[in-house]
Amino acid sequence: MILQIALLIGLVGFSVLAILLRDLLKAAISLAAASIMLAMIFFRLNAPYVGVFEISVVAGLITVLFITTIALTKSPSDVKESRRPLIIFPLFFIAFIICDIFIMKALLQAGRPMLPGSPGTQPFGVVFWNERTFDLVGQIAVIFAGVFSVLALFRPRGDKHD
Amino acid sequence: MIFPFIAVPLILASFMPLVGRLSKRFFPDLLANLAFLFLLVYSVIIARQLAVEGPTISQLVFLKHDLNIRMALDGYSAFMLMTISLVTLCAGLFSINYMEHYGSKANYYALLLIMVAGMNGLVLVRDLFQIYLFLEVAAIASYGLVAYGLGRDELEASFKYLMLSAVSSGFILIAISIIFALTGGLSFTSVAAGVQALGQKYAVGFCCGLFILGFGLKAALVPFHAWLPDAHPSAPAPISAMLSGLLIKVSGVYAMTRLFFNVFGMNPALGTVLMWAGTISLVVGALIALGQNDIKRMLAYSSISQIGYIILGLGLGTPLGILGGLFHIFNHAVAKGLLFLNSGSIQNATGTRSLDQMGGLAKRMPLTAGTTLVGSLSIAGVPPLAGFWSKLIIIIALVEAKQYGFALVAVLASIVTLWYYLLIQRNAFFGKLNETWRQVKEAPFWMSLATVVLGLICIGVGIFFAFLLKTWIQPAADALTAGIRLGLPGLGL
Repeated sequence: MILQIALLIGLVGFSVLAILLRDLLKAAISLAAASIMLAMIFFRLNAPYVGVFEISVVAGLITVLFITTIALTKSPSDVKESRRPLIIFPLFFIAFIICDIFIMKALLQAGRPMLPGSPGTQPFGVVFWNERTFDLVGQIAVIFAGVFSVLALFRPRGDKHD
Repeated sequence: MIFPFIAVPLILASFMPLVGRLSKRFFPDLLANLAFLFLLVYSVIIARQLAVEGPTISQLVFLKHDLNIRMALDGYSAFMLMTISLVTLCAGLFSINYMEHYGSKANYYALLLIMVAGMNGLVLVRDLFQIYLFLEVAAIASYGLVAYGLGRDELEASFKYLMLSAVSSGFILIAISIIFALTGGLSFTSVAAGVQALGQKYAVGFCCGLFILGFGLKAALVPFHAWLPDAHPSAPAPISAMLSGLLIKVSGVYAMTRLFFNVFGMNPALGTVLMWAGTISLVVGALIALGQNDIKRMLAYSSISQIGYIILGLGLGTPLGILGGLFHIFNHAVAKGLLFLNSGSIQNATGTRSLDQMGGLAKRMPLTAGTTLVGSLSIAGVPPLAGFWSKLIIIIALVEAKQYGFALVAVLASIVTLWYYLLIQRNAFFGKLNETWRQVKEAPFWMSLATVVLGLICIGVGIFFAFLLKTWIQPAADALTAGIRLGLPGLGL
């Protein structure tokens, strides 16, 4: 119980820090710390799949993306692009993919029930691929929307009439 | 077979970058508009099938293997699909000329197609999480489209829209999570049955409150409207037409009413909250619109006001009120789509959105002036145009239900609406031609065609409203008045 409360306080504390800190790098790290707290809460609540997703995607991948973006952007007076992110990011990305494959494979093969608390639940793989198949279509559409929005925002500016 | 409503726009969107490589303008214009035309024709075919066969559930079969991808079609879904397809086709036709100077048309159409897929998906799914998912699909595409001009105003408006939309999504997701925890299901049937069996009215009421906050933000109901007057005017005109004409209705009004009527069940308390929210919106939106000088901003505030009428009619919950509310969804989608497109034509010709700087444009742009007049009078509720009948039905429903105060406010707000639309006519089109605009020309062919089609629909629906009400709006209203019977297992969808 004490650990649970400590984790919750930590989650809120790091979330607040992520908003209040003016240094973007520190804010991104605070967000990652908050995410790790949340993942630990998920594990303690017997929701390992959500915990793993939280750690791998939010604490892992998104933090890497944030830090890479912060490293690539500088104030206009100090534009000096470092080449390090170009090396670091692919390395992190490959490491993330390898870890994710191993973790997801283990989880899918373990065949643990999706919601241990409620009766009649299916293993994660069955729920993910068979029960919620339509969600995948929606997720593909979300990814498309995100990709095309990024392409639209970073396209060369045309001679817009207004 | 209703999967093409999602599959066609999504698949075409995924090929758009390739199409854009082959041809920068012609093929993206052609393919996107053919897809929109197909969706419109197909929605009419599906609606005719629905009239014969009744509500249906479709399951996707791939290589003789049943996939767990199901969608359901009833009168309300068919009504929304046809409305979406019609306004989208007109926005697509308008884009052929209007989007020439924005660059990267293929990317623009890809986002527009994804937004359409998101809206179509939202009206066809029967699962709380899938509602959320397709809500996000349409929303993410719309953030990109609002910022498409890449100007400072567009980017700021898009960011503001994104932030408030994220808050709205948060409320909706929390409510869905609680409902899932309570009922152990996400499909409409399991949630409807679970909620009835549970009897936990406070927990369900709390979730309904969260849904009102979330969907109210999406529908831009006052006081959750702050994002709309920035986002809608900043977007390119066809996207403003899509957002004001469709998106706020699909992701706000449709989603909210579908859940409240068919899943949780309407009750007097919920109805009263919606009626008050609608009335406040229609009054506040109309009064703020009156003070605007930017034509698109005025139209945006008008959307807030007209959403108020829709929510007032639907919140009343009587069969006539629901009929009027749904009819106004269509009429407002067409008329507001038309007016936003015309604001784009004016901006395209003059380079300004300020009503003060316009004047006498009817002499140089007669089609734009004529169709703007038709759209304005329709929204203001002048007979015999379409908007008159829907407002009349809402007001009659309020009087029938002895809600005289709400009826009076609706009538008075309609007068204010007429007032600010006449201001647009007077400042932009009537009077002496401003010398600055002597060289101004009428909008190009495709832009004019799109607005003329919408203008003719405003007139045609006004004349043949009885036929349309019976064949098209009534089945949609029946789906809502069926209440939770439609959501419970074995009784409907």
